[in-house]
Amino acid sequence: MAQRAVWLISHEPGTPLCGTVRFSRRYPTVEKRARVFNGASYVPIPEDGPFLKALLFELRLLDDDKDFVESRDSCSRINKTSIYGLLIGGEELWPVVAFLKNDIIYACVPLVEQTLSPRPPLISVSGVSQGFEFLFGIQDFLYSGQKNDSELNTKLSQLPDLLLQACPFGTLLDANLKNSLDNTNFASVTQPQKQPAWKTGTYKGKPQVSISITEKVKSMQYDKQGIADTWQVVGTVTCKCDLEGIMPNVTISLNLPTNGSPLQDILVHPCVTSLDSAILTSSSIDAMDDSAFSGPYKFPLTPPLESFNLCYYTSQVPVPPILGFYQLKEEEVQLRITINLKLHESVKNNFEFCEAHIPFYNRGPITHLEYKTSFGQLEVFREKSLLIWIIGQKFPKSMEISLSGTVTFGAKSHEKQPFDPICIGETAYLKVM
Amino acid sequence: MGPLSRDAWAQRLGAFRASPSAFMAGPEGEDLGRDLLGDLRSEKLSEQTKVSLLALSLEYPAQLWPDVSAAEVAATSLLDTLVLLPPRPSALRRPLLLAATTALAAGGALGPTSGASCRLLPLLLGLAAGSDLGRGFVPASEQRPLQATACECLRELESCKPGLLGGSLGLLRGLLGQEGPVQPISLLLALALRNTLVLQSRVGAGLGGLLTDKVSPTGGGPWDWTLVEEGDGRLQPQAPSWPAAEEGEGERSLTAREHSPEEARELRAVVIQLLDTSYLLTPVAQAQLLWLLGWALRGLQGQPPALFKPQLVRLLGTAQLTLLHAVLALKAAFGEALFTAQDEALLLRRLTLAAQHPALPPPTHLFYLHCLLSFPENWPLGPEGEEAAPLLLGPQLCRGLLPSLLHDPMALLARLHLLCLLCAEDEEEEKGQLPSPRHYLEELLAGLRQRAALDEGPRALATVCFQASYLVTRCLAGQPTVLTPLIHGLAQLYRVRPMLASHFVDFLDQVDSELRDPLKVVLRQEVVSRPGRDEALCWHLKMLAKVADGDAQSATLNFLQAAAAHCTNWDLQQGLLRVCRALLRAGVRGGLVDLLQVLARQLEDPDGRDHARLYYILLAHLAGPKLGVALGPSLAPPALASSLVAENQGFVAALMVQEAPALVRLSVGSHGVKGPLPVLKLQPEALEPIYSLELRFRVEGQLYAPLEAVHVPCLCPGRPARPLLLPLQPRCPAPARLDVHALYTTSTGLTCHAHLPPLFVNFADLFLPFPKPPGGAGLGFFEELWDSCLPEGAESRVWCPLGPQGLEGLVSHHLEPFVVVAQPPTSYYVAIHLPPNSKLLLRLEAALADGVPVALRTDDWAVLPLAGDYLRGLAAAL
Repeated sequence: MAQRAVWLISHEPGTPLCGTVRFSRRYPTVEKRARVFNGASYVPIPEDGPFLKALLFELRLLDDDKDFVESRDSCSRINKTSIYGLLIGGEELWPVVAFLKNDIIYACVPLVEQTLSPRPPLISVSGVSQGFEFLFGIQDFLYSGQKNDSELNTKLSQLPDLLLQACPFGTLLDANLKNSLDNTNFASVTQPQKQPAWKTGTYKGKPQVSISITEKVKSMQYDKQGIADTWQVVGTVTCKCDLEGIMPNVTISLNLPTNGSPLQDILVHPCVTSLDSAILTSSSIDAMDDSAFSGPYKFPLTPPLESFNLCYYTSQVPVPPILGFYQLKEEEVQLRITINLKLHESVKNNFEFCEAHIPFYNRGPITHLEYKTSFGQLEVFREKSLLIWIIGQKFPKSMEISLSGTVTFGAKSHEKQPFDPICIGETAYLKVM
Repeated sequence: MGPLSRDAWAQRLGAFRASPSAFMAGPEGEDLGRDLLGDLRSEKLSEQTKVSLLALSLEYPAQLWPDVSAAEVAATSLLDTLVLLPPRPSALRRPLLLAATTALAAGGALGPTSGASCRLLPLLLGLAAGSDLGRGFVPASEQRPLQATACECLRELESCKPGLLGGSLGLLRGLLGQEGPVQPISLLLALALRNTLVLQSRVGAGLGGLLTDKVSPTGGGPWDWTLVEEGDGRLQPQAPSWPAAEEGEGERSLTAREHSPEEARELRAVVIQLLDTSYLLTPVAQAQLLWLLGWALRGLQGQPPALFKPQLVRLLGTAQLTLLHAVLALKAAFGEALFTAQDEALLLRRLTLAAQHPALPPPTHLFYLHCLLSFPENWPLGPEGEEAAPLLLGPQLCRGLLPSLLHDPMALLARLHLLCLLCAEDEEEEKGQLPSPRHYLEELLAGLRQRAALDEGPRALATVCFQASYLVTRCLAGQPTVLTPLIHGLAQLYRVRPMLASHFVDFLDQVDSELRDPLKVVLRQEVVSRPGRDEALCWHLKMLAKVADGDAQSATLNFLQAAAAHCTNWDLQQGLLRVCRALLRAGVRGGLVDLLQVLARQLEDPDGRDHARLYYILLAHLAGPKLGVALGPSLAPPALASSLVAENQGFVAALMVQEAPALVRLSVGSHGVKGPLPVLKLQPEALEPIYSLELRFRVEGQLYAPLEAVHVPCLCPGRPARPLLLPLQPRCPAPARLDVHALYTTSTGLTCHAHLPPLFVNFADLFLPFPKPPGGAGLGFFEELWDSCLPEGAESRVWCPLGPQGLEGLVSHHLEPFVVVAQPPTSYYVAIHLPPNSKLLLRLEAALADGVPVALRTDDWAVLPLAGDYLRGLAAAL
């Protein structure tokens, strides 16, 4: 269970190489084991240049998508996981765990402790899940609270030292790189007995526990008979426990509001020490009935120092918080649009911000727009073929707002306008956020 | 060279990292490793720069110190640097320990005879044990981090040399109970324990007191090099041959071993201790511990897997990839012994949930989906190693895992696979649920094709459509209800977007004939039904080159004739010719001749005209099978990436003579003595059926007149062939060597040339008799010949040894045709004509028991030694 190498690559479309290796780290002792374990099927870790090229090709991130390339486009090359085989110098490097997020490609090569031909099933390779966790950990570190490029660069420059702590020999010790950062900073603090490895120090001060709940509603409204509207709430409970002592015991209990829908699909943080089986089995997979577990949801735990996501859940809400109506009619050269939004009375009419995005795909730039709105302002992004309706912090008293108008589009120029494989013709969507 | 400045080092390290191989090949490469070690002790460089130097050595020890001795020297130097550090906190101690460990382990220097190893190991163990190393070696503030680092170093060494810490188990176990960092010690102990268990079992030994003794019983320190050697340097995989673990070697040896009750109790105590504190480990470290312990305890007597049970509920609630993965590993290791059917169902539910939970990132979803399809079931039904939907994963559970067009390609394909598996099962069960998975599948595929048909859609959309179609044909082969709509859907897709021809060609190459043949037919119809100028002509031609065959010839030819008028550029012409070529291969002749003639005249491009003419000539001159071979896939690997060159090479290979190993053997038979010339009788024998065999002979040294070639229409192995007669025209009477070449056609139509082993013409093969004199005049005739030899000729006497058959046998066997006067059994006069015009006369008289003196005369001096050799060899030759 170890990694042979890890890379961070920034994806830069339009440049000659389409990317740059921003960080890489190799683990020679693991590599030595790989040579022994893999035997004749061993493929060495390439240098950064060839690796970059092969990875971008495999991920379809090079700009040369124009032609059919068998080694990439053949129908029999089916990849169903984020784990790839890269052709480098006639040999295939496998398994390469890689994914793209925020224009950075995270990649690593886990050690496979047996021969690679025939390929063992991925599920039997312990390093694969570790590789994912490693990359997620780096991603969390780079993007937690990161605002701009220079901050990203600072964090990238901290990585070598951090990995010396978190992964000195290719075997990941802690996916939470923040802990390693604290470790380097507070190395002089003598730690008492039986300190959890995921808790780098102790808190001194006034005890307090803060909990915040974030819910996102995902709703699809069809306004069509025969197709039911769907909506789902995805919630995250975030905790920060400032408590003295090495291992304080805390129990956090979540209660549903009156008539609240039960929580389902609960995933908890590893610091939760035990779970009621009703919480484990409550799942949206089953058809809803009255017997669903409706709490209280108790989470006994020993908190880490930093803020953490205690649990994620999903839930069904009885009605969507905003009911929408969006009509689009194609009239010769122009589109006639009508939009109505209605805020449900149970929702507090007070937002940080609220806006509706109205994108138009597979069309040219917006050349002409006539509109009438009952509330808020409309911003027009002509080149992006996008309208943004800024509703602001509040809906009006009536709780109902509308927008109607006609949009005319210019000729399509293939490169620039947004393409979407779904929103063709009169298929379109509107996103409220 | 003095120490480099910080900037100089930064520049140098940057250059190295950009391309290590290029840097090492450059002028500075050789010194890098030495400079690095030297500058670590320089007082001018900051600690930060030194850490960056050490970081480099952690990543590239093989480049810096390429051999064992260099690695040993480097490790020694690093240890020296460590010892020389002033007794105040320093950022260098940890990286120095890591670097020395890496240098030894990666450089292959770790071993009982290595001085650096013998220094490093006690140092690490001392640090790990938190013991006082004296002289303020470790400042108090650094003790704990160094303790953890030392454990990590030891763990790495143990990973590279399994069994190394076998003697330290008791010590490590003691440390776990004491104050100390839990995680590094737990992991180190678990690894050492696992390795020791595996190695001890291999030699049939028990754990002995290893778990309880604080000091190694073997003496000589806690290092167990003997155990390392027993391990034979073999590394220990984490999960030996999962999922087919039943046949694994590790498994057999594990079950074969027994521990005494006391050992078992100690072992259990250690495992429980490790598991109980596992909660203090980070999630990734917990996962490692579970993998290690799970596979170490698998099959051990007296070690119930229920030990793991208390951990499971806690683990199942998390979303941590490594933890759920470790639970799956335990599932694979213990099966029903740890997971009842209900547990299995719960685990599947959690996996299903995690595979679609909106709070988790897409790569995690995909991995969980993979885990579902490779789920280690208690009682798997399907064949081993194939992806399948677990039995307990019913359609209800899968409802949320159905693919939709909104998914990204990988998620779509993964979910589609699951859907296909459900469809395959669905066939066996009665229908009734709505909508049926198959209906859903059809709609999805239709949607994918619709997307692929989009005018400006990126290629990825088309790719995923064909991948999905391929996946469906793989999973649902033999189900016409799925395949028929698929074929028609694809044909329709081609009609809308012919530029996807390359994808179609690839698809046709990959699928089975069950789908390929009907799809070819409909695609051909799609193409030929719309002749004429079309923007998509080049795609149509590409498509047709793949799907054209002997069927529907006239429609195809009509299409081509119509297309020819529009093929104005080189590209299109080549496309057109490729179709012609495909038709040639398929054996189409009639209308194609006309088309090729027209093309050979009409095409604008001279290259195109040449090609058309070539095809025409081939069509006119070659028989069907030969044409097939000529146009078949190129035999020679293309030297250039150009298709034309490759094609020409194909022709060259097929139409020109191939150099081949000899498929025919020749042997020289008994020679006849009729006629005016000596004739060699050859017996051919074929190893494979060959046709139109031509044998060419060349006489070395021009001793004979040039030989005519011999022709054989057909040779088959096992069927006796008539002997071949090869008349010789000697220019002088001497034996010779014949070089033999064979030229023939194989049953596949190739013409081959082979060099056969040489044939030897012996002296005796040249013998001819003199014409018989009229009756009774033999003696006079002989005497006349005898006298005529001198004075120009030569005379000699030779002792000719006789075998058991005596003189009579010898003569009748070898010289019978040439005897002129015979008085059996005592006297024979022999006259031999040696073409072109020499004679050899022998008198064999007064034979003794073991030989006969032979008087011989010849009119040719050169014959004398040959005749002598011949006579002396006669007895042996019988």
